[in-house]
Amino acid sequence: MTEPGYNRTREALITAAIVVGVLALWYLAAGILAAGDDPLANSKLPYPHVIVERFFDDFSEVTSAAWTSLSTALIGFAIGTAVGIVLSVIMVQAAWIESAVMPYLLAAQMVPMIALVPISQTVFKNDTATRLFIAAFITFFSVTVAVVRGLKAAPPPARELMRSYNAGRLRTLRYLDLPAAMPMLFSGLRVAAPLSLVGSVLVDLMGGSQGLGYLMLAAQTFGPAQATLVWVAMFVLLALGFLLAQAVVMAEKVLAPWQPAMRQGGGH
Amino acid sequence: MKEATVQHDHGAIATRSATVVATGVGKVFGSGANKVQALDDVSFEVPQGSFVSILGPSGCGKSTLLRLIAGLQPISSGEIQVNDHTPDEMRKAREFGIVFQQPILFDWRTVEQNVALPLQLIGTPKEERKRRVSENIELVGLSDFRKHRPWQLSGGMQQRVAIARALAFGPRFLMMDEPFGALDMMTRERMQTELLRIWASRPGTTIVFITHSISEAVLLSDRIVVMSARPGRVMRVIDVDIERPRTDEARKDERFLEIEAEIRDLIFSQEHA
Ligand SMILES: Nc1ncnc2c1ncn2[C@@H]1O[C@H](COP(=O)(O)OP(=O)(O)OP(=O)(O)O)[C@@H](O)[C@H]1O
Ligand SMILES: [Mg+2]
Repeated sequence: MTEPGYNRTREALITAAIVVGVLALWYLAAGILAAGDDPLANSKLPYPHVIVERFFDDFSEVTSAAWTSLSTALIGFAIGTAVGIVLSVIMVQAAWIESAVMPYLLAAQMVPMIALVPISQTVFKNDTATRLFIAAFITFFSVTVAVVRGLKAAPPPARELMRSYNAGRLRTLRYLDLPAAMPMLFSGLRVAAPLSLVGSVLVDLMGGSQGLGYLMLAAQTFGPAQATLVWVAMFVLLALGFLLAQAVVMAEKVLAPWQPAMRQGGGH
Repeated sequence: MKEATVQHDHGAIATRSATVVATGVGKVFGSGANKVQALDDVSFEVPQGSFVSILGPSGCGKSTLLRLIAGLQPISSGEIQVNDHTPDEMRKAREFGIVFQQPILFDWRTVEQNVALPLQLIGTPKEERKRRVSENIELVGLSDFRKHRPWQLSGGMQQRVAIARALAFGPRFLMMDEPFGALDMMTRERMQTELLRIWASRPGTTIVFITHSISEAVLLSDRIVVMSARPGRVMRVIDVDIERPRTDEARKDERFLEIEAEIRDLIFSQEHA
């Protein structure tokens, strides 16, 4: 029982060591660059504390951009998840539906986002709608592919048990297949959560006029003096992506604590 | 729910009316080169309220036979009637409580919730459901583990949960497929007497019990259907006329040893035929 606690402390220590190490290297690199005679050194690789200062200097601008990116990503993520689950449930109802739909799904997944963004911009003529669509689109694939597999995860004997109780399709879905698909659903969500954020930001980078991507682009066009802002936006994006992924992990711990991978606490 | 009213009649079972009637049952899997004749011309009767064991070597089609009786697989030839209905009709009427060869418990449900599953599916009112769940968990001696998850239990405890689940909705038929197969001998013998006790508390319940243990079959059964290996055929149907209630003492009973020897000889003669 002391094992998990011990491991957690060790993990935290390792993480801290990595952060300290990266920061030290960064200062070193920035210092070397500044010591040279490149006048743009400071904008190419600013010191970390300069980035933090900049974050607080432009706090309202940065948070409003972050909010645009985060909120659209989250809503798109929710939509993509819902649509993905519904489509998966439909697909597993009959083998012919799945074999008819799956190829298109896989093909559509090959469409590069770089191509999809301008197309949806012309269709929606609205940045927010485009952000939602791209975020939902990316989520939808991860979720659908994972949940289709998850819905088939229940072993045949479990299905036979349900049949012995004369449970129809709907009840078998509710009591067996959906719970059994939870681990796969969450593995899809873990991948999709940060990607939905990237999807939203991609729209900013390709002509949007808000969001973290827009902040990066705008800062760059205003010259080297603004370069620090690009770094700020990037770190905020990174932090949000990390938080989203963590949120999914936490939700999984609450909603599907029974999986083998999550049992190390023992108890109940 | 059907509350059984028929009392256990531990007298001569030949006089009781048959509730499961298998006539010339055959089952074929696959076709062509992959064709497997799992069962061939299987006939026997299960008297109402009795305990009937199906005994045979591994792979002789015992689990298959159980699935056919329970209406989980179609019959290839012959006929099975359960209370004058087809197995499928009886399955749809939820007359069968099945304990499969594996416990098949849902990891996302606690012990309590696993036992409640059939009751939820049937739509038993909440209060009634709670009562039946705790009653049956108590019956299999797992009251202290009601909030545990299946993977926190030993194999034998898991199988007991499966038994409680099968009992919970009060089916008139209990079908058990080697429920104690994975247990050590001590636990196994305790579970056997436990099962007899549980059965005695459910008058009118008919049990079809699958095993490949001769002594287990003799101890538990009113009737034993001895099967031969592939294709599964009925070698002999033996009525066990040992007095009930049977306890561990019955294992030393003269009749017990006689019947055991008879079955052993039967299987032995088959192997050398
Ligand atoms: N779904 C299936 N498809 C094809 N063949 C099957 C199927 N189920 C069973 N069989 C075959 O039928 C035969 C009997 O299998 P069954 O599981 O009924 O045996 P058993 O008597 O229960 O064996 P055991 O004691 O090992 O559990 C075996 O030869 C098996 O290969
Ligand atoms: Mg079997």
